[in-house]
Amino acid sequence: MDRVIATVIGIVVAVGVSAIVFVGANKLFDLAPRRWSIFSTLIGGASSLAIFGLLWGNRLIDQPVTVTAIATVVGALTGYALSRTSDQNAHLAIGAVAGVLLGVLAGASIKPQWRPGIDAIALVLSVVLFLAVGVGIRSLRNTNSNMLRPVLLWGSIGWIIGAFLYPDLGTGTVAWTVIASVFAGGLLGGWVGTFPLPDQMMKRDIAVGSRKFIFLIPALAFISMTLVIPLIRTIWLSLLTGLPKELTWTGLSNYVDIVTDPTIIDFSDWTDVFTSRLFIGGIVVLIIGLVVARISGKRTGERLGLNGGSLAAISAGFILVAFAVFASVRGTISNNLWWIFAVTIFSTGAGLAIAVMSDRSKGENVAKSFIFMPMAISFVGAGIIWRFMFVARPPTKDQTGVLNAIWVKIGVWSNSTTATTVIVIILSLIILGLIYIAFRGRQAGNISVAAGSVVIALPLVWIIYKFLGPGLGGYEVFEGEVFAKPILFLTESPFNNFWMMVVLIWIQTGFAMVILSAAIKGVPADLLEAASIDGATESQKFWRITVPQIGPTIGVVVTTLIVTVLKVFDIPKVMTNGNFDTQVLANEMWQRAFTELDFGLGSALAAIIFFAVVPVMWRNIRQMQDQRAST
Amino acid sequence: MTTTKPPETSYGIGETKQLTGRVASLLGQIPTWVLWFFVVVWTIPTLGLFINSFRTRDAQRNSGWWMFWQDGANGYGSLTLDNYSDVLGTSATGGLANGLLNSMAIAVVATILPIAIAAFAAYAFAWIDFKGRDTLFIATVALLAVPSQVALIPLLQMYAGGAHLTLPLIDKTITVFPDLGLAGTIPAVWLTHTGFALPFAIFLLHNYISGLPRDLFESARIDGADHFTIFRKLVLPLSIPVLAAFTIFQFLWTWNDYLIALTMIGGNRQALPATVVIASLAGEFGRLEHLLTAGAFVITVVPLVVFFALQRFFVRGITAGSVKG
Amino acid sequence: MKRLRNVVMLLLAFALLAAACSSSDDGGEATDTTATTAAPTTTAATETTTPPDTGGDTTTTAGEVDLTGRSVTVFGPESSDEEAGAIQDALNVLAADTGLRIIYTGARDFSDQINAQAAGGNPPDIAIFPQPGKLADFARQEFILPLPDDVTATVNDQWPEAFVAFGNVDGAQYGVPNKADIKSLVWYDKPSFDAAGYTVPTTLDELWALTAQIRDDGGTPWCIGIESGPATGWTFTDWVEDIMLRVEGPDFYDQWVSNEIKFSDDRVKAIWNTILDEWNIPGNVFAAGGSIAATPFGDNGQPLVDGDCVLHRQASFYSAFLPEGTVTGPEGIDVFFFPGDTADNKPVLGGGTLAASFKDAPEVWVVMDFFATAEYAEIRQAAQTERKDGSLSGFLSANTQQDLSVYQPIEQSFITLLTEASVLRFDGSDLMPAAVGAGSFWTEGTSAVNGDKSVDDATAAIDASWP
Repeated sequence: MDRVIATVIGIVVAVGVSAIVFVGANKLFDLAPRRWSIFSTLIGGASSLAIFGLLWGNRLIDQPVTVTAIATVVGALTGYALSRTSDQNAHLAIGAVAGVLLGVLAGASIKPQWRPGIDAIALVLSVVLFLAVGVGIRSLRNTNSNMLRPVLLWGSIGWIIGAFLYPDLGTGTVAWTVIASVFAGGLLGGWVGTFPLPDQMMKRDIAVGSRKFIFLIPALAFISMTLVIPLIRTIWLSLLTGLPKELTWTGLSNYVDIVTDPTIIDFSDWTDVFTSRLFIGGIVVLIIGLVVARISGKRTGERLGLNGGSLAAISAGFILVAFAVFASVRGTISNNLWWIFAVTIFSTGAGLAIAVMSDRSKGENVAKSFIFMPMAISFVGAGIIWRFMFVARPPTKDQTGVLNAIWVKIGVWSNSTTATTVIVIILSLIILGLIYIAFRGRQAGNISVAAGSVVIALPLVWIIYKFLGPGLGGYEVFEGEVFAKPILFLTESPFNNFWMMVVLIWIQTGFAMVILSAAIKGVPADLLEAASIDGATESQKFWRITVPQIGPTIGVVVTTLIVTVLKVFDIPKVMTNGNFDTQVLANEMWQRAFTELDFGLGSALAAIIFFAVVPVMWRNIRQMQDQRAST
Repeated sequence: MTTTKPPETSYGIGETKQLTGRVASLLGQIPTWVLWFFVVVWTIPTLGLFINSFRTRDAQRNSGWWMFWQDGANGYGSLTLDNYSDVLGTSATGGLANGLLNSMAIAVVATILPIAIAAFAAYAFAWIDFKGRDTLFIATVALLAVPSQVALIPLLQMYAGGAHLTLPLIDKTITVFPDLGLAGTIPAVWLTHTGFALPFAIFLLHNYISGLPRDLFESARIDGADHFTIFRKLVLPLSIPVLAAFTIFQFLWTWNDYLIALTMIGGNRQALPATVVIASLAGEFGRLEHLLTAGAFVITVVPLVVFFALQRFFVRGITAGSVKG
Repeated sequence: MKRLRNVVMLLLAFALLAAACSSSDDGGEATDTTATTAAPTTTAATETTTPPDTGGDTTTTAGEVDLTGRSVTVFGPESSDEEAGAIQDALNVLAADTGLRIIYTGARDFSDQINAQAAGGNPPDIAIFPQPGKLADFARQEFILPLPDDVTATVNDQWPEAFVAFGNVDGAQYGVPNKADIKSLVWYDKPSFDAAGYTVPTTLDELWALTAQIRDDGGTPWCIGIESGPATGWTFTDWVEDIMLRVEGPDFYDQWVSNEIKFSDDRVKAIWNTILDEWNIPGNVFAAGGSIAATPFGDNGQPLVDGDCVLHRQASFYSAFLPEGTVTGPEGIDVFFFPGDTADNKPVLGGGTLAASFKDAPEVWVVMDFFATAEYAEIRQAAQTERKDGSLSGFLSANTQQDLSVYQPIEQSFITLLTEASVLRFDGSDLMPAAVGAGSFWTEGTSAVNGDKSVDDATAAIDASWP
């Protein structure tokens, strides 16, 4: 119970503090045009708090609580004082005095081991150098402006560096420390004092112009901390080699190692493409699709009429051909591309189809929940689930994996005359039905329905042929007896790759569905109504209104999926760990960096993943933005 | 795009002619049939896991889950709740109740923080004009491509020892991030999840928020509303569907996350989430892996509740309605 | 506003520069900055590393310092209720005696995790390593500390020399043996084995003859499966090691482990070929998952009990994978020693875990010392047996002073084999660098078993991957 309470309190505090800080910042800047003095007071206090907080965080000062509190009050009073007068000289004086006060405070409280020694030469040189730089920049940019401001600012920077950062620490006296920080504080305070009291216009500018920073800084801070800095570090590490504590420079040799690794890509069997059944089948379907598209295109005056039927055939053909290529050209890169291709297309396609279909079906929520379920099941569960799906057992045993049980059963039917007859009759009836639909479709002039039915009928014909001829399913005949011959889903290369992709497709379809479903709900109802009134069919409404409307969202889904897939490592790790020709870059990276602690090579792989995907994303996002601009 | 075409070509004569009679009604039902076919295919694997979660280890290993009704007869032991009682009663890795509590603590904060932060940032990227906005936006989203595993060790170093940097030339070290002793604690997991989630969150929310009708913002600005007010009064209510979608995902990812939590928390078993507890049940070499069937369902309950609770926010026409009103 | 933007830009640029610099410190000049930059949790390593030869200035004697209320964290690979629970039970006894708070956390993926924790500066106080090779890596990188003299004394006192040596790195003792496994075992169903008229082989040749005989009788001699998720292939490497120890002897084995003899050496390849030839003879192997590479190693228990095969070579902990309610011992599933090349030659391939410390503190050394004692082994064994409702616990200790009565007879015979072995070698893949021992040896071995690669190609690839 204590833990529950503590946890709840922790959550409330974490969320509450974040909210207060954020809303507070907004409210604070809201004050600028209306209540400048309050704004100025709070900003003054906050600045001092930030500076002394930095000293505190670096463990530089004694009694940090008291000192920081005093400094905050001094800062707040300064801000208030600055807001009460518009006199330029008074401003300068107030700023300088406050700076001196804070300087005394800081100088006196700095811990003995951090007190700087005196290095007069360095101090003078540093001040002169920075003054020269500052004044120089200002003169170049604006020749006849007031030189006081850059002198104060750059002088103070030069002073801080020369007095505090350059000399040896821990050798100085209290007196010198106080003097040094008083000078620094006075100069900086004076610089603050040079800013005049803003007029109403400027106040409003501050209130409005600050907003982008308030809105963006939390995100950018988090992203820098968790992604940008580690990314830079990764790129740096990728140029090193050795164990974590003894890394040495090695230039680009990690990258060379990766690229020259013989398993990265292997073209030795690429000629198999042209003889593979996938390729031939794919080409046939592709040609049918193109022909249909051409015919229906003629009616509408387009070069290619892309509608449900022709698009389905063309994409199916394209996918088959691509699979044939991936299955023939092997290697890590090929595996990765295959993953990207298959998971992105199937997850987006299925997610979109389900989102659209469920949008008008009864039981929408139930159907969507079931599709979504795989996302909710943790990865640990998914691993177990697919083990149960893929498992194979020896011929003498019952199959315990769903897929093999079905496959072996088909094999049994294929060898039984009765079963074969029944199946052939059923399939023939379905084919006849499809031919009837095709015929009616042709009559009604709806070429896409006609072509679609034919395309669906083709594989059924092929199944009948297999049943009557060479046989289908998992079996082998040995000395007249029929034995089960299960598929070893995870060890038979190259299609074991695809079976692992199935797992990710199964998971990510729910992702695509949820996002696309939300987007479809956002398509303005009036647009759809207007189209209905104009007599558009459902499919026309889909292709001509819904798809363009949700185009950018499809872009989001595709881009996210590409990235997710390229980074996928847990499925290959758990299922094969890269054995049997299934290695992917991210799993290789994990093995090198985390299992073997070879940060150099691991980082190089990570950098390759990053650099490979950034151009794709850049293009995608640009395109999405253009699309958005044009609609 | 196709929408720019004049309507005459969009609705060609041949296409508008409808198939008549039974064929048409049959065709009209195809989407529903296909949908439920998808549902069945998608559910079979989970169903198998569910049934297996009630079976003994020997039964799971030796016969298919669809043969569950014959377990007793096959001598594998009949259906049982033992797996669930083993999972719920575990004391390994701090126990399941403790793990679920930690998971909740992690997931709630690690969902709220990124949503809030990303919503502001997405709004700024979409509707506040400033120089270099698009470049900054694309750079931010491009960080999606960083394989987050590479960030784990530097972040852990930062939580364990703070971030320090040695200034070049003058050789002085200053602290950028103090060593707050976050390593091994839940806040470390919050910070990590929040940072990792932001590129995607900003990407998704920006896509939606930037698609809101421009007139809305212009009329509000004429009324004198500032960005914060517009954000609070207009953008947030209008973005509820996408916020709900992101909430679902982020909650799921953080709830189901194993790697980040284990890495950031390490050997502090008091703070480990339920996923780590459940995975530990299997033991070395996965000896007791059959328990994971039940374990998977125990921890799936909460995300499913979240999904059902948020699903009602996917309502048609929020945008359209507001534009009119 | 422009000014504000410039300031922010300056800060950003500064942050980037800073990031670049701080990462450069990770590399070249790490040692210079450790003193100033390391957190309290990591300073221990640099400030207090005790040189092995003058180990006297750290102490373990609990009596000198009051340890009440101090806490010690232990992190290890054993994570199930039974194993982790039994370890915690044993530690609780020590905690009650000393007033310490000792917490054991077990996690799957320990091997990868301990890397991340060590590199990330958040290591546990004590880690239990299943691989001496990793322990040696960590010792050489000064992540872990050598034992103080009195803990070393306890280890030397209570453990056989061979086990002590597994925790020895370059002459200094880092590891405390925690658990032992014996891998040179063949599991079989004794009643049906005897009924078929077979006799336990005493030499390797007899074993192969027995294999042929079973096959000729129409049975299937072996159950073999090497699938083990991310660790697929380790069963094959165990076979290679076991047979190498028998055919080529321990000296050859040691040279091979230290890469003085390459994988592509003809003698090593001959061993691979011996194994693969036996495995590939049709009818020799029952693979419960369709093929050897696709069969989870844990799925061999049921077919052994069902009589689908006669023999299964696997370590002592395999008892835990037998089906529920299996009788073990002479009336049921029994084991015989994986025979040597002669009847007198009984080299043992062993395994186990070793505890090592990341922190120099008296309370840590108290716990480390406890791990070495017979008391720990006895309490843990008793607790683990109880948690398994009296069946074989899966735990073994080779501690020489433990009371063997906490073990069941079959477990006692394992311990006798371990403690009396003339030649005892640790699992070679656990001794090799992770890139090989937990990497290419597994994956290339799996390729060879699955027929995807020839033995020549696979062994050459392993040699190429040796760091």
